[in-house]
Formats: sequence, C-alpha cells, structure tokens
Amino acid sequence: MEISSTSWLHVALLFYSLGLWHALATVIQRKQQMFKTVVLSFFLGAAAHLVSIVDQTITVGKIPVSTLHQMASLIGFLITCFFLLFYWRYKYESLAVFVFPTVFLLTLVGSLAAPVTAWKGHSLMSWWLPLHVVLFLLGFAALFLTSCSGMMYIIQENELKSKRPRTFYYRLPPLGTLDDISYYSLAVGFALCTLALITGSVWAFVEWGANWVVDPTIALSFLTWLIYLGMIFGRLAIGWRGRKAAYLSILGFCSAALTWITNSGVHSFMQR
Amino acid sequence: MNVLLLGLSHKTAPVEVREQLAFDESSSGSLASALTERPGISEAMVLSTCNRVEFLVQSNSDYDAADAVQAFLNGKSTITETTPFFYRYLNRDAVSHLFRVASSLDSMVIGEPQILGQIKSAYIAAKEAGAIKGQLGVIVSNALRTARKVRNETGIGQLTVSTSYIAVELARKIFGDLRGLSVLLVGAGKMSELSAKHLQQSGVSHVYITNRTYERAIEMAKSFEGKAVPFDQFLRVLQQVDIVISSTGSSEFILTKETASGVITARRNRPLFLVDIAVPRDIDPEINTIDNIFVYDIDDLQQVADANLHERRRHAELAESIVQEEVAKMMHRIETDEVAPTIVSMQSALDDIRRHEITRHRSKLGELTPEQEQTIEAITRGIVNKIAHPPIVEMKKMAGNSDSLHFVEFVKRAFNLKK
Repeated sequence: MEISSTSWLHVALLFYSLGLWHALATVIQRKQQMFKTVVLSFFLGAAAHLVSIVDQTITVGKIPVSTLHQMASLIGFLITCFFLLFYWRYKYESLAVFVFPTVFLLTLVGSLAAPVTAWKGHSLMSWWLPLHVVLFLLGFAALFLTSCSGMMYIIQENELKSKRPRTFYYRLPPLGTLDDISYYSLAVGFALCTLALITGSVWAFVEWGANWVVDPTIALSFLTWLIYLGMIFGRLAIGWRGRKAAYLSILGFCSAALTWITNSGVHSFMQR
Repeated sequence: MNVLLLGLSHKTAPVEVREQLAFDESSSGSLASALTERPGISEAMVLSTCNRVEFLVQSNSDYDAADAVQAFLNGKSTITETTPFFYRYLNRDAVSHLFRVASSLDSMVIGEPQILGQIKSAYIAAKEAGAIKGQLGVIVSNALRTARKVRNETGIGQLTVSTSYIAVELARKIFGDLRGLSVLLVGAGKMSELSAKHLQQSGVSHVYITNRTYERAIEMAKSFEGKAVPFDQFLRVLQQVDIVISSTGSSEFILTKETASGVITARRNRPLFLVDIAVPRDIDPEINTIDNIFVYDIDDLQQVADANLHERRRHAELAESIVQEEVAKMMHRIETDEVAPTIVSMQSALDDIRRHEITRHRSKLGELTPEQEQTIEAITRGIVNKIAHPPIVEMKKMAGNSDSLHFVEFVKRAFNLKK
C-alpha cells in the first residue's frame, strides 16, 4: 500500500508532538530537560515533513501552496529548518519554547486538510467537545489570574516607584510574589489553552472538514494563542518581566476574552 | 477591687523628672515587695522604662494607696514636688490604662514592641518577689494577653518606623522572599552596616563588600562573613547582586543612569534595589525611572518611615477598640468574681431557712390539696426573694468599685454567711 503525503505528515506530527510536550514542560518547570533527544525527534519530524511535501509536489505537479492547509504545513516545515539551522550554528536553545508549539500547531493544521468520514465511535465524540470546553475554561481561568496579578503588579510597582506608600502598598502582595503568580498561571494557562486549541481543531476538522480553518473566530483563537506564546518566549528568552510583562498579560487577556465571547455558543461554520 | 495606678510618662513629665525617678529594671521586684510592706497595700508591681515609671497597687480601701506610694517615693528620690507630673487612675481606669500601655498605644512610637516585654518582666519580677498573688496577677496577665491579641489582629507592629529597617521592608515588598538573595555594600557606615545586618537576619544569604580602601573591605567582610570585592570590579558584581546599599564619601554619582541601564539589560531585567544613604548621593536618582530598578535615597527611606507611622495610627484605632472590648470583659470578670459567690451563698442560705421552716410547721396544717401546697411554696419563695433583692442589686452595683469588698463583707456578716 502506498503511503500518502498525509500519512507522512502524521508521522512528522508525531515527532513534533514530543517537541510540544517538551516546550510545555519547560514552561511549567522553568528548566529544560532532555533537550538533545527532543531536537533529534524534531529533526526526524522535519525529515518526514520533507517527504510529505515532496510527495505532494510530485502528485500535484507544483509546490503545494494553493490552500491554507498546505501553506501552514510548508511554513511549519520552513520554521523547523530555520530553527535546526540556528540551533546547529548558535546553540540558541531558548528559541525552542517558541518554535516547538508553533511548528506542531502549523503541522496539525496542515494535516487536517483531507476530510475523513466521521467519528470512529459515538462515545469518542460525546466527550471530545466537552473536553475541549473544559480545557479552555480552565486555561481561561488561569490566564485571568495572570492578568489580575499583572494589574496588581502595575499598581504595586507604581507605589514603590513613587516612594510615597499609600493604601495599596500595604494591602497588595510584594512584586516578586505577583511576578511569580503571573508567570506560573501564564504557564499553566498556556499549556491548557494549547491543548484546548488542539482538541478544538481536531473536532472542527472531523465535523466540518477543511473549511474550519478560515473561520474568523478560530483565527482569533490562534492569534490569542500566539500572543501568549510570544509572552512566554519573551519571558524565558529575553527576560521580559515586571511592568511590561504585566501590561502584556492584560492585553493577552483582553484578546482571550474576545476569543471567548466570539466563540461561546457555536462557531459560524456550525450554523451552516 | 481597689486598684490604683500611679505613674508618669513622656506625656506628663519631662526627661529631667523621668530620669530622677527611673529605676533599674533589676530592682523592680524588690521595689514591688517593699511597697507591699507598706500598710494597706496588698499587691504591687513596678514598671520602669525610659519613657515611663508606673506603680500598680492593690490596696485595702481603708488606706489611701496614693499617699502610701507617694510616701514611698519620697524616700527614694530627691525630687520633692512630683505631684504635678503624676497621673492616677482607679479601678476601671487603671485597668484600661495598663491595657493600653501594654498594647503600645500609649508609647512614644505607637506600636513599638519593647513595652510588652518590659511589662512581662516587671510582672515576673513582682510575682517572684511575692508582691503579686491575687487579683492584680489576673489583671496584668490579661493586659499581656490583650497586647498579644492586638499585635496579632492589627498591623500595628508589622510596619517598621526605623530607617535602618525600612530597607528590609522595601526589599520584601520588591522581592517577596529574601532567602537566597545577595546584597552589596559600597563604602562603610554605621547605618549601611546596620541595614545589612537586618537584611542578613531576614534571610539574605550573600554579602559582598566593596570599598575604595580594599583592606577596609576585607576587614568588614569578616564581620559579615561576606566577600570583599575590589572597588574597580564593583560594576561586575552589580550584575549578580539584588540589593545595593551605598554610602561612600564620593562627591559625584558612582552609578549613572547609562551604566545602570546596561546593568539591568545584562541582568535580563531581574529586579535591582538600590539604597543610597550617602550624602551627597552616590546613585543618580534618575535611575529610578528605569524599569525593574528601584532607587531609594535617605529622604525616601524617611518618607516611607513616616507613611508607616501614619499607617500605624490607623491600625491604632482598631487596636483601641480591641483594648476597650477586653477592658470591659476584664471588668465584668472582676465584678463577677467579687460578688457572685456571695450572691449565690446568700440565696442558698435564705432558701435553707425557708425549707427548714416549712418542714418544721408543715405537720400542723394537715392534709392539703396540691394547689395549696404550691401556694405555700410560692408565698415563702416570694418573701425570701424580696428580702434578698435589695442587697443583691446593691452588690452588683458596687462591684468593681473600691468599696465593693467592704460591702460584700458587710452582707456576709449581716446574713451570717460562711467563708
């Protein structure tokens, strides 16, 4: 039996998933472990990815960039290449936190192009959507905590900078504590939202085929996710913290709230 | 009760008078026991601190305790006319004053913690000398309990007002937990060393010391078990440490804004707390505008201390209400202790008489219906209660007054009550 390009993409996705897991573990534990193994797995993923793209190119007769799915897959592949090159040349490890989840998600989108028939069993379907919702709500709660502590941080920082302690100076927790809460809730919230995004994408794909990706509310979800990913990357790689990080956390939450409002109820494609 | 508190404090007497009357803390027990040897004084405690001298005595109401204490004092000090400086409080007022003093509401610096320990040692000394053996002990131990309650339930003692300790408080507000942090001392000085000691006690684990004279730095490093750093490497250390206390004699800034922003980038924005206690200043105040760097000079520290004092006064209002609540409880307890046993024994003695008389004469009445039996009970009970009522009301009314024990004694004799 001939292995199709989609199957190769699935193989790549499997290898990339190790990267996603690694990134989330790094974010939560704040230190990298088994990094070399994960890079190797990522390298294998890239190889499978390349096979898939070449296979598709041969089948279609041109570079596959005609659909959004194909484009996502290609961009994911290119990012992987650049990252591996970068890593090989500069050993810049902290970039991985940013790259691993992004590549995984792009490849996931790419692999969700060819329609499949339906759910394999009814029971899987009945818990899949609630799982997506619960994961998202938990993530949303954690990110809410992030923005709350961000707000308190801004107020307390202002008190300390002004050197004239008023009520808030006495009532609010220390900056260090707020920053810790902010980071941990961000890490946990991000991990949960990533899982929610994956479950949601898979659900939408199975139920409605390839069209889901152009849904504006889903695009917004991805944008929110990117903002949070950027925050985490900024924090771990460049040391964004304090006031700027606090403002970002509020911005991120506004975007998350918008996502939630637009996504609550049914997505637009569901009504079709 | 017959409790008198006689004393003077920073509020009523100038230091010239206070120093004349201040006693050595070690003599407080013997003074208290000497007081109890005076006629009429049954219990005594003597409290002497730099801001106050107070005598707390329990006396027999036949004597004027104030006179006794005054006479006692006249024998001890050279000041002849001390009366205008003294305040005197009786019973409830005395309890209230003691509770407020213990809770540090009457202190020069409201909320300062030493007074609680001072009262405690005066109490222990008096107790060991045998000068406290009854009600006074209950009152003082309740004053101590109230003070602890005030400390736990209000923020009155949490905010520091001493500038050398403010650096620690601010560091806590910036970093949260101080454990594992490090501090750099630039230059030497009493206050910077004191602040560093406080920081060390609060968990800061590494101390670096730098000085233009390297030998001096090495010498200081010994006393902190820290590490001496040559002055020209000061900027390099700045990337590692979290807190800097600077007090050099330099006439120019030793840290400029430009350098500082380089440092914070190299630190990847880990917060940096700069305390500048030098005059003229060592650290450019403009550095405070850089994110994640906090610069406090000596005036800023004072400003925080003032704000803390102001905040303490707000806590003091809450503390005041706790104290008054506890005073009320204490007085109620004293009153109950004083009159309740007598009331109970009077009621039971009268009831005994009533029952005895009924059994004695019951046989003469012959057969009675249940209603008639009940009527006899009701009549006799009514008579007894009406007789007992006025003395009970009077005893309750007098409870807590100086004459209450006298009256209680009188009631006991009048009704022939045992004990």
